[in-house]
Amino acid sequence: MTNILIQGLALSGLYALVAVGFTMIFSVGRVLNLAHGVFLMLGGYAYYTAVQVFGISKGAGIAIAVLAGAAFGILTYTVLVRRLEHNPIAVEISTLILAVVMQALIVVVYTSAPKSMWPIVPGVFRHEGVFVSHNILAAMVLSWIVLGGLVVFVRRTRLGRALRAVSMDRKGAVISGIDPHRMSLATWAISGGLAALAGVFFATYTQLTPGMWVAPLIIAVAVVVVGGIGSIVGSLVVAHLIGFMETVTTTLVAAELRGVFTMVLVIVVLVIVPKGLFGREEL
Amino acid sequence: MAFLEIRNLDAFYGRARSLHGVTLDVEAGRIAAIIGPNGAGKSTLLDSILGLVRTTGEIRLDGVSLTGRSATEIVRLGVGYAPERGHLFPFMGVRDNLLVGAHTAPRDAERNLRRVFDLFPVLEERQNQETGTQSGGERQMVSLGRALMSSPRLLVVDEPTIGLAPRVCHDIAAALRRMNEELGITILITEQNVNFATHLARDVLVLETGEIRLRGTADELMNNPHVREAYFGH
Repeated sequence: MTNILIQGLALSGLYALVAVGFTMIFSVGRVLNLAHGVFLMLGGYAYYTAVQVFGISKGAGIAIAVLAGAAFGILTYTVLVRRLEHNPIAVEISTLILAVVMQALIVVVYTSAPKSMWPIVPGVFRHEGVFVSHNILAAMVLSWIVLGGLVVFVRRTRLGRALRAVSMDRKGAVISGIDPHRMSLATWAISGGLAALAGVFFATYTQLTPGMWVAPLIIAVAVVVVGGIGSIVGSLVVAHLIGFMETVTTTLVAAELRGVFTMVLVIVVLVIVPKGLFGREEL
Repeated sequence: MAFLEIRNLDAFYGRARSLHGVTLDVEAGRIAAIIGPNGAGKSTLLDSILGLVRTTGEIRLDGVSLTGRSATEIVRLGVGYAPERGHLFPFMGVRDNLLVGAHTAPRDAERNLRRVFDLFPVLEERQNQETGTQSGGERQMVSLGRALMSSPRLLVVDEPTIGLAPRVCHDIAAALRRMNEELGITILITEQNVNFATHLARDVLVLETGEIRLRGTADELMNNPHVREAYFGH
């Protein structure tokens, strides 16, 4: 039971890192980033290259991965989304195409063979029949620290307040002297960094593969649909709900049914509470 | 040279032209009012000053051209805007709404916050109340306060009395006068409430179907037969 609790918390924290960035991009820019899983994939491959190919330290590897995710977020917004953001459907189609292209590029560079990742924090915690890898504990603690920092940033800082302002009333923000494009740029950078960090841990949790962007994208969509698209708190709560549901399903029911209950939950919420459990579109 | 100069201003929404060759001056330290019916182009004119709509013509503030600049630059140059319906941030408290207004003037935030609370004491009492739950009058006060937080030299206010009780209108007028007299802010308002506009402003312009039809002092306009017929029915 304790194993399930800790595994669930770790998985939920990673889901929250992915989903919060996805929901921030929607709240500030009113567009859905279907390349969001690519941030995660790039984070994993950047860490792998830095640490396991070039032998750089793990801490520096994590920093490189986060910077790679943030840089890719900035690039995606500047080159693609900024020019299309008046047309959300064009953004969705083009970011999905971008994800497919990035997957192909990863295959060209790294081949399609899965890569095994060394644990970031080796070792296993053992206590009264409970066995939890240090890597999972590290993922859990780091996710919570980062998410806590994000909530403080959004609620208490000048930039965070400006992001919230744009998400609530774009004209009100503009006439207050806030440049919404800069805010979108900041959001894409933050989201890219958060997802890349999650990607590092996902890769050490499972495996590094070129197709690893798909499942987290589905999870991100599920979390924000159930939580209420745009709600950070909703995303955090529902990420934990889905994380636990998947852990329990995998451990106690059948690993093959892992994502099924999540999809059923999405459909039930869409039918009964279309705006999500915490439904609103502002941060 | 007037503090705010607008010359031959046309404004467009897509292909539709909403303003037709508007020319007006607002002298430094004055309160000016633009009156006109719904659809006259009052909000479009103020949006044009903030660079929010496509325009041709020239807008200058204290000799500096605002034409082609972004709203962010225009706010930094000293234009504060309290738009119709406020455009507040409904899930933020009063204090946070005001602090967003200080985005371009963070160093003045504490001083300006004190000024806003001095003008509108009720806002200090309700600093943490979300503006989405406030009355129309309080939201108007927050809107004016947020504009004041950017340390403006020109304050443009779109229909400040719309939907408000007479008592609240009186308070809003008193606050605008204090901003003008004590802080030296030049003010341009739009109004459908001619009594409010002519009591508050010294210079009044009549805007109809996107064109300036009349201009003069408040007394001159109040005695103008067209204004009396159009706005008072006699």
